[in-house]
Amino acid sequence: MLIEALIALCLLGAAVVFVAPNRFAHKLAVGFSLPPLAISLYMYLAFDGSGNALLGGDIAYETFAQWLQLGSYTVNYHMGLDGISLPLVVLSTILTTLAILSAWTPIDERQSQFYGLMLFLEASLIGVFGALDFLLWFVFWEAVLIPMYFLIGVWGGPRRKYAAIKFFVYTNIASLVMFIGYFALVFGLGDSVSSTGLPEIAQALRAGQLGSLGIIGPDMLALAAFVAMFLGFAVKVPVVPFHTWLPDAHVEAPTPASVMLAGVLLKMGTYALLRFNFTMLPGQAEILAIPIAVIAVISIIYGAMLALAQSDLKRIVAYSSVSSMGYVILGLIAYTVYGVGGATFQMVAHGLISGLLFMTVGVIYNTTHTRMVGDMAGMAEKMPVTAGVFVAGAFAYMGLPLMAGFAAELFIFLGAFESTVLPYAPLFTAVAMFGIVIVAGYLLWAMQRSLFGPFRLETDYEIGPAALHDVVPLVTLVLLIILLGSAPMVFFESIQDATLDIVATLGGGI
Amino acid sequence: MAGVFAYAPAIAALPFVSFVVALLAGKYMPKKGALAGIIATAGSLGLSIAVLVTVFLGETYNETLYTFVGGDVPFELTFGLLLDPLSAAMLVIVSLIAFLVHVFSLGYMNDEGETGLPRYYASLGLFTASMLAFVFSDNLLMAFMFFELVGLCSYLLIGFWFRRAGPPSAAKKAFLVTRFGDYFFLVGVVGVLTTFGTAQFAGENGFPALAETVLNPETTADAVNTFGFEPATWFAILGLLVLGGVMGKSAQFPFHTWLPDAMEGPTPVSALIHAATMVAAGVFLVARMYGFYALLPTVLAVIAFVGGFTALFAATMGVVKNEIKQVLAYSTISQYGYIMLALGTGGYVAAFFHLTTHAVFKALLFLGAGSVIIAMHHNENMWDMGGLKDHMRVTYLAFLSGSLALAGIFPFSGFWSKDEVLYEALVHGLGGSPLLLGAYAMGLAAVFLTGFYTIRMVLLTFHGEARSDTAEDPHGVRWNVKFPLAVLGILAAVIGFLNPLPIKKLTGLEVDFLHQFLDSGPEALLTSSHHYSGLTHDYAGYSVGTIGGGEIVTLLAGAGASLGLALLGAGLAFALYRGAEPTRHTEKLGGLQTLLMHNYYQDEYQVWLAEGLTLRLSGAADTFDQGVIDGVVNGVSSVSLFSGDRLRRLQTGIVTNYAALIVLSLLVLLGVFAALGGWF
Repeated sequence: MLIEALIALCLLGAAVVFVAPNRFAHKLAVGFSLPPLAISLYMYLAFDGSGNALLGGDIAYETFAQWLQLGSYTVNYHMGLDGISLPLVVLSTILTTLAILSAWTPIDERQSQFYGLMLFLEASLIGVFGALDFLLWFVFWEAVLIPMYFLIGVWGGPRRKYAAIKFFVYTNIASLVMFIGYFALVFGLGDSVSSTGLPEIAQALRAGQLGSLGIIGPDMLALAAFVAMFLGFAVKVPVVPFHTWLPDAHVEAPTPASVMLAGVLLKMGTYALLRFNFTMLPGQAEILAIPIAVIAVISIIYGAMLALAQSDLKRIVAYSSVSSMGYVILGLIAYTVYGVGGATFQMVAHGLISGLLFMTVGVIYNTTHTRMVGDMAGMAEKMPVTAGVFVAGAFAYMGLPLMAGFAAELFIFLGAFESTVLPYAPLFTAVAMFGIVIVAGYLLWAMQRSLFGPFRLETDYEIGPAALHDVVPLVTLVLLIILLGSAPMVFFESIQDATLDIVATLGGGI
Repeated sequence: MAGVFAYAPAIAALPFVSFVVALLAGKYMPKKGALAGIIATAGSLGLSIAVLVTVFLGETYNETLYTFVGGDVPFELTFGLLLDPLSAAMLVIVSLIAFLVHVFSLGYMNDEGETGLPRYYASLGLFTASMLAFVFSDNLLMAFMFFELVGLCSYLLIGFWFRRAGPPSAAKKAFLVTRFGDYFFLVGVVGVLTTFGTAQFAGENGFPALAETVLNPETTADAVNTFGFEPATWFAILGLLVLGGVMGKSAQFPFHTWLPDAMEGPTPVSALIHAATMVAAGVFLVARMYGFYALLPTVLAVIAFVGGFTALFAATMGVVKNEIKQVLAYSTISQYGYIMLALGTGGYVAAFFHLTTHAVFKALLFLGAGSVIIAMHHNENMWDMGGLKDHMRVTYLAFLSGSLALAGIFPFSGFWSKDEVLYEALVHGLGGSPLLLGAYAMGLAAVFLTGFYTIRMVLLTFHGEARSDTAEDPHGVRWNVKFPLAVLGILAAVIGFLNPLPIKKLTGLEVDFLHQFLDSGPEALLTSSHHYSGLTHDYAGYSVGTIGGGEIVTLLAGAGASLGLALLGAGLAFALYRGAEPTRHTEKLGGLQTLLMHNYYQDEYQVWLAEGLTLRLSGAADTFDQGVIDGVVNGVSSVSLFSGDRLRRLQTGIVTNYAALIVLSLLVLLGVFAALGGWF
């Protein structure tokens, strides 16, 4: 019942904060975000699950109850965590608390609604990672869009309405495609399944019970469903060429929303890819291995090139997420423990690191009221701590060893290089790895122009060192990134345990 | 004594603590973090010496201490310590120079009233810790990780004076160029791990030993995954990939361009990082995994030629430079070329010998230059100097000792080591690998240029008449500058007697101490120098050849040639630049001078690659992205049912409307599926 407690506490907090006066909202929201954080950390420590939740492993914190009967299908209330979803739940609670903390300065109107939506978002995210029935999962999946839509559309920048609508419509259409894909599989399985539960569907599919749907044979059906679901999730991730909503959404979103968007919302896409496409349909993934790897490599290199062309700090970080998510796809298609495990680890690592960079850019923006690289120089002089954190975050992004990003990328590279599922795996990996040079290029260049050199600022604002409430979330994230980078087994132990069954069928085990 | 190994991790941990202390508490401390650094590096030095003594007495250590990633994975990733003669000796070199540089920094940074000192000492501490951890790494992955951290510290220290425009740019360049090399290195590390399932350097289960069993026709080896290549080809690819990182860090052509720019950093940093240690990390890595490279004749030849060419190429640029640190920068690149030349030609001991002597005399020269720069109120132009020898006795004598070592003049340390490097190239070239003679010739030609630019530098800086007001009345330096100079000055003169090969060959006395030391240690580690020479002989076909009358004649002829050329170069410089008012002879070189001053336009083409090509490509990608990809997205949405205007009208701002919309669409979807699925 702990997941339910988590979600309930978030929803309760959301409701209370929503109606509270604006001036208490921030402290109340921080307060309400702490119990879920504590519970999720306890859940991490007391975690006793093993194996993969979809493939017959021991599910931790499981709740199962019959919910609805739709025709011959039972829709169950089924929640639980395994080694893959647990780290993502912990990531969500940590980032929500830190994002709320960091919202003190930038959010100066309608605070209670803002923080209420943030807590509602947290509840939905936990639901996405915890749900083990499709319809239940889909409710949470769609619910995430509501708070994020408003966070961008109400508190965002000048083009917030365009960005919010683009985000909402684009991802919603994608959800529709994915929904159709999944139900094609459910119907194709026919009588061999009696519920929409993810474990039942996954196991039935892996047992080869998929039949024909109308005139479409099982092989074609599986392939079509794979493609439909992949397209649906690809928008969320996002992978090139479905990524154009992301920079708009990020640039317009207020900083705390950007943190959540890059830190957790993008991971919904990769998490779903892992849970649905790569867990349920390994054979189809193998057939499509080369196109998927090509998409991954293009996302990595092209995303990094786009980041290089930007002069808005937030756009730089936004495009770099496209690049980082490409690594996740590459790791997934490798079908090795290091590959799939590394992809999952990268979801957490990138969540922390991109969150850190967005927050740092936010602190600079709150002080200078500009994010354009050309508008400022030598900021390290006036904001030494912020600049120091920026350097730390940038190097984390570049994959500095002993920080989380390096561990994640190393695992992915190792896993992809030795992949037997992906033809020409070493070549794909080597090309993808060139991303680590470009990322160094655009981040070092951005830092050189904005942080260093003689001080210059085009806007008229008083510049001082960052306040304590700005620094605390930043330093916390830096420490977490170093912790995960020096002791990756903190999360990787449970992750690899849950990925073994996924990769085993294609011979990527040990 | 073997108990000291239990404390060996502290060799790196102590400077790491000084990093944390300087970072968090430096500004509250009397010397802003310097004392913490000095105490820590002194501790590291003491422990390193204890380790060296223990290794000398025959104990070695090769243990895994921390499992980075374990459990159900195809291969574990671990951290551990390898303490054998090579790493023990290198630990002493690094910690000694780090210690002296910390002391020198008191004079160069604290006494000069610098701000930001906690940041400086924190970076120095982290640098020292990373470098030491790199040196005692027992596997390639751990070595890579600390190699990268060393790169970070280099970035932070080159860019230390971030308020000016130059240093941040130089720092970025240094990191980017080395990162480009490290890209290949990382591919190599991933390749080694996936090929062998281990990245251990030493022992029967190390990857060099596994590679040998695969290549050895007499053993039936366990199959390793060579990704469809012939094992020898695949191993050569891996070797070349790792070499990318080596060439980046050790500033070998064409990755040398970052090093002269790195002189933007504080001079003690140049001494520590860009001369004695970080740049040494590259070539040290080749020595560390020499058991692997010794199996690969093609890669060895590449190393030899890159080294020989870099030695000559960099020396030509050193000839025309006007700033004292620039001359030293190009000489550093050139000297690392020699070390690469030695490694490529099978001279494992010679390479490490030259690494040792170079670390001492180049740290000395940079610190000496630092002392001169203090005296000159931070003017680095040699044409503004002159006559300084009368004002700064200690600096002059120490600098002279280092210069004679650099020029390779008997009996200073550089003579012995450079001679041995060239000797190895010569005899292996004569002994059936004639290609190596080409690399040898380039190395030999560079000797002449080295003698020339070194003596030119000494004459312009210290001799003649003062050519500026500051040179008339230079700023004094204190004990904290003189002490490190004195220590290194003496070492630069005598350290060559660690391995005076000619004396051994001529007299038969067993005075090749370094050789004996690198040859010691348990056989099972497979890191001894005779093991390596066996491998180069068996797999690369290296054997010793001689001219005419045998080994001694070859030795004397080689030594005579190199000493003669060095003296010739030195003499030419002396003839051109002696006297009270030397003239700028380089202008007579005409177009050649322009070419050399522009460093053969190497920087220009690399900047073009970054800015002209990559940046333009990224701009094109951005235009494509905005125009085509996003254009399609917006186009589709505007022709679709929800046209732009309609969409905006939906934007009512009321939560319930949106919630209703979502629930509604979900219900419609369910209804469609229900109808299709026949649920009703």
